[in-house]
Amino acid sequence: MPTFRRLLGFLRPYRGTWVISFSLALLAMGVTVASPYLVGRGIDQIRAGDRGGLTFFAVAIALLGLGRLLLTIGRRLVAGRVSLGVEQDLRDRLYGHLQSLEMGFFDRWQTGQLMSRATVDLSAVRFFLGYGLVFIVQSLLTVVLAAIAMTIQQPLLALLALLPAPLIVFVGHAYGTRGRPAQQDAQQAVAELTAAAEESISGIRVVKAFAAEERRREAFEATVERAFGKQLRAVRIEAAFQPFVQFLPQISLAIVLLAGGRMVVDGDLTIGQFAAFYVYVLMLIQPLRSLGVMLGLGQRATASGMRLFEVLDREPTIVAPTDRPVRTLPADGGGAIRFEGVTLRYPGQTRPALEDVDLTIPAGERIAIVGETGSGKTALIQLLPRLYDPTAGRVLIDGVDVRDLDPTALRREIAIVDDDPFLFTASVAENLAYAAPGATREEIERAAERARAADFIAALPDGYETVVGERGLTLSGGQRQRLAIARALLAGPDREPGDPRPRGPRILILDDATSNVDATTEQAIAGGLDEVMAGRTTLVIAHRLSTVRLADRVVVLERGRVAAVGDHDELLARSQLYRDIVTYGMAGQVFLTRKQEPIEVTEA
Amino acid sequence: MSAPGPSESGSTTRRGAAFADIRRRQQATRGRGRRTRSLFGMMRPYRGRIAILLVALLVATAASLAPAPLAAKAVDDGLSKGNLDHLTVLVAVLLGVSLVGLVATVVRDRLVGWLGARLLSDLRERIFRHLLQMPVSYHERQRAGVLVSRMTNDVDALQTMISSSLVTLISSVLMLLGSIVILISLDLKLALITFTTIPVLLLGSLAFRLASVDAFARTRETIGAITAHLQETLSGVRVIRSYGREQGHLDRFHELGDENRRANMKTVYLNAAYFPAVEYLSTAAIVIVLLVGGAEAIDGAVTIGVLIGFVTALDNFFGPITELSNVYTTFQSGMAALEKIGALLDQESTLTDPAHPRELPDPLRGELRFEHVTFGYGVPSRGGSASAGGTGASSSPIVLHDIDLTIPAGATVALVGSTGAGKSTLVKLAARFIDPSEGRVLLDGVDLRDLRQRELRSRMGIVPQEGFLFSGTVAENIAFGRDGATREDVERVVASLGAGDVLDQLPQGLDTEVGERGGSLSAGQRQLVAFARALIAGAPANGDGRLGGPSILLLDEATANVDLRTERRIEEALELLLSDRTAIVIAHRLSTIRSADLIAVVEHGRICEAGTHEELLVRGGAYAKLHEDWQRGTTDAPSAAAS
Repeated sequence: MPTFRRLLGFLRPYRGTWVISFSLALLAMGVTVASPYLVGRGIDQIRAGDRGGLTFFAVAIALLGLGRLLLTIGRRLVAGRVSLGVEQDLRDRLYGHLQSLEMGFFDRWQTGQLMSRATVDLSAVRFFLGYGLVFIVQSLLTVVLAAIAMTIQQPLLALLALLPAPLIVFVGHAYGTRGRPAQQDAQQAVAELTAAAEESISGIRVVKAFAAEERRREAFEATVERAFGKQLRAVRIEAAFQPFVQFLPQISLAIVLLAGGRMVVDGDLTIGQFAAFYVYVLMLIQPLRSLGVMLGLGQRATASGMRLFEVLDREPTIVAPTDRPVRTLPADGGGAIRFEGVTLRYPGQTRPALEDVDLTIPAGERIAIVGETGSGKTALIQLLPRLYDPTAGRVLIDGVDVRDLDPTALRREIAIVDDDPFLFTASVAENLAYAAPGATREEIERAAERARAADFIAALPDGYETVVGERGLTLSGGQRQRLAIARALLAGPDREPGDPRPRGPRILILDDATSNVDATTEQAIAGGLDEVMAGRTTLVIAHRLSTVRLADRVVVLERGRVAAVGDHDELLARSQLYRDIVTYGMAGQVFLTRKQEPIEVTEA
Repeated sequence: MSAPGPSESGSTTRRGAAFADIRRRQQATRGRGRRTRSLFGMMRPYRGRIAILLVALLVATAASLAPAPLAAKAVDDGLSKGNLDHLTVLVAVLLGVSLVGLVATVVRDRLVGWLGARLLSDLRERIFRHLLQMPVSYHERQRAGVLVSRMTNDVDALQTMISSSLVTLISSVLMLLGSIVILISLDLKLALITFTTIPVLLLGSLAFRLASVDAFARTRETIGAITAHLQETLSGVRVIRSYGREQGHLDRFHELGDENRRANMKTVYLNAAYFPAVEYLSTAAIVIVLLVGGAEAIDGAVTIGVLIGFVTALDNFFGPITELSNVYTTFQSGMAALEKIGALLDQESTLTDPAHPRELPDPLRGELRFEHVTFGYGVPSRGGSASAGGTGASSSPIVLHDIDLTIPAGATVALVGSTGAGKSTLVKLAARFIDPSEGRVLLDGVDLRDLRQRELRSRMGIVPQEGFLFSGTVAENIAFGRDGATREDVERVVASLGAGDVLDQLPQGLDTEVGERGGSLSAGQRQLVAFARALIAGAPANGDGRLGGPSILLLDEATANVDLRTERRIEEALELLLSDRTAIVIAHRLSTIRSADLIAVVEHGRICEAGTHEELLVRGGAYAKLHEDWQRGTTDAPSAAAS
């Protein structure tokens, strides 16, 4: 059970508190177990007609009960604190780990998968560590302490009464081997069902377009019925196990009745002791029942733990160097870029995304990158901020291998504007200042102006305080892109007060939108971009001629290799591929030219 | 002075507010009667099983109550009198009862498990059916993830409620009632003394429930915030990495975790006060019974056996009370889930089939006509309900104004214009994904609303812009276009589109798995598959040399596929696809636009001009300007033509 032991490791920071909680539970259970004994003694006093003795024991029970009340309250408070602490640690740990992992990880793992691990699996683990374990300990304590109490009072009867106990271990083991696979089977079937539903709902337009509702329904119902069948199997196994565990104490009860009764008649046992035994065995029913349930929870938690560790055990690959000194970019560097024999192979892909790319971009140059889908344009730019590391070769910025830098410091020097920019659910101002939390309102507004976003921001319901993003106001693609440009302009390292250089990244990367910005705005942005690009190296993934024309040089990529480099005219003359791209890849879409762009103010 | 003194009226309003608060909390703890009834409604088909379940539950509970009275009997009739035979009989009775209890418990657990799984499967199917019949406009406003979570997470919460909490609830109540009967039958006076604790218990439970409503709601809220943040982090991971802003997110996440922890701590306090108190009450009851009953026993008014039986039975009296409070939490989240599912199912589809549908003629001519069509989200359509099935845009809800457009049978119309101008709305109207707010859309003179949606769409081929594919093979995706399409149909369509050579290049040809959302195909390949899927819709080719396929084609051309290898194929296939049938194309390629029979330029929800390419160029309007801009864009590239 290495997974189980590792899960227990999450309790380590709380060892001290856990010991207190355990001691309190032990004391409380000791008191609980003492109670039937006292009741028995009380009954014997009644038999003897001793009113004073009876009162004594009754008062003792009441006082012990009071003690237990205090102990239990204390135990609950301490244990609750531990369990909530563990929960938060676990969540922070997983979240922190996800934040440390490289982009490649997120390409291979679907968001849904990660979400289900971070919610469903995490809650199974925390429920077990927080509550399940306490219950198990408490139940075990009850069983053990009750057994001890019984043995002290009448060893032979205790032995007889506990005769069925080993059966529980046997049954529990049998359940573990059969029940767990059935449970996992059922869980897997539900996961398939989720995927099936997700696909149909995402593709609902297509389903409706082809009047395929009936067919999809039938297919989905078949999946549901399959899951139902598997759940049923798990239910049957469970239904054979649980009742049996509850039945065993009844046998003990019969033994106590039969053997204990004889002992009373023979005078070896007082009636009070007999009553105490009877109560002890009844006391076992509840813990045994919850033990079964909790062990089941433990199994689920272990399975979930395995799934969590699958994520947690993935070492982050893109980190600051540990075996050599961390270097910094020269302060006066202008963002010169060099790709030296760079090959990039995405995990699980046979064909490399980039193959043996050599490219030198002097500081301050503007480079357009063109190529077909899948030619490696995005792969190339992702190497700069180390979203990926090359499989072979190296990438240098101002003469420093990017792998010798602290990734966070490196990324402060590079700003990317995606073709479909992501905004967080936060105000416009917060989104703009995302890369530079210390930016002043003035700086923010200035960046918005340079990105030609100031006008539409002013028209938003709450201006810069308007909440946008997934759970906020929906903006059009063009608007989002302009915000992303402004956001990029605010990136870059913080400047000392009095530093004349404006804020901004050393390297700017633009992924040209294919259809998001209309011609008029594009012209406006281009004017702004000119200003923006000044003094920094810019790489543009270009999908239209107008964008290509902003660049000093064009790099043509083909199947991960650099096919040609040169300016527009040279390439038109020299490269057949470039001519094809310009003619077939760019020409037709220019007809998309937009004149109007309504501000979408759809409340999400 | 302006300092607010504790005036009479002030304190009454404060008290009033406190009462209102308690009332609100109290309502939050119950209510939802309608939802619960709907749950019972779902159980109706399984009445027989439920009846057996209730019997099993009754028997199992009764069996578990047996030990206490048996102990009383054993002590009084067996031990006190030294009657061992009688004792043996009682042991046999106990074993017999236990065995019956065992069987009943097995039956109970199986049936409960069955019922839980069955009801939840039914519910999943019902939600799915419901979502399938909701109009496209509804799905455009809802995120798929949220809808799916209704079918999974919420249904799971409900299953827990039904299969564990509901049974605990019923058996606890039965147990409580049974114990009351047993206590009374053992000794009325002692029983009445014990029952004095009931009002205390009731008040305590009520206070506990009222106090916990807000605490539980708060924990659910805070956990929701955590999940939302997590989701957003995963969606935006590229931005986070690009700007190296991990630390900020870590801090925020920890803050959210703190809020959740604080909310949870409140429930810990409440539980720590409530449960030990109930426990103590049971101890107090034992003490009182011992004192009062003991005195009576010494006086001979009560037998010792009754006293022992009584003490034993007390456990069965207080146990269920703790259990009931325990299930309360799971019940809360189960009810919350039921509420969410119920709200989902309550959303009514605004696009329904007519009671007396008309049939389309066969063969269809295929003339499409928009008559004075106006459309706006949230604007009531014929039938009175909101046409969009959701909240509308807050400003300028009108998307299309008074559109009049006739597309003659067999003609291709290209829609040109900006995003948001209303092009895709026109296409959605033609497919009856939405209904016009005013005016009507006619196919061969029949109002689309008089047709069954299935009938209408089976005559149409639709190519959405993103070319959504389902996981499965290429062939399966093409066959998706028509119910019952055979492998031969698929191959014929692929061949007639001229897509064979492109698709054959795939690793397993037509049997290649397309991956999630078609991810393992290139954009161009996906496009071709989507074409083939649209072409296979409608009637199969009838052997007279014609291509067959749908009478009407609705196509949203992809904007950018820089996929030179398939580009020419796509153009050719498109030409084939458009020939010989009525088509509406949201066009982006000049070649497509040029070859259209009619070009409609859509701006601000109106058709501002229409005609052929040549006509429009001559007219010198919006289209001519677009064309001019485009020409400048391509040739402006310095000396491209010259070299």
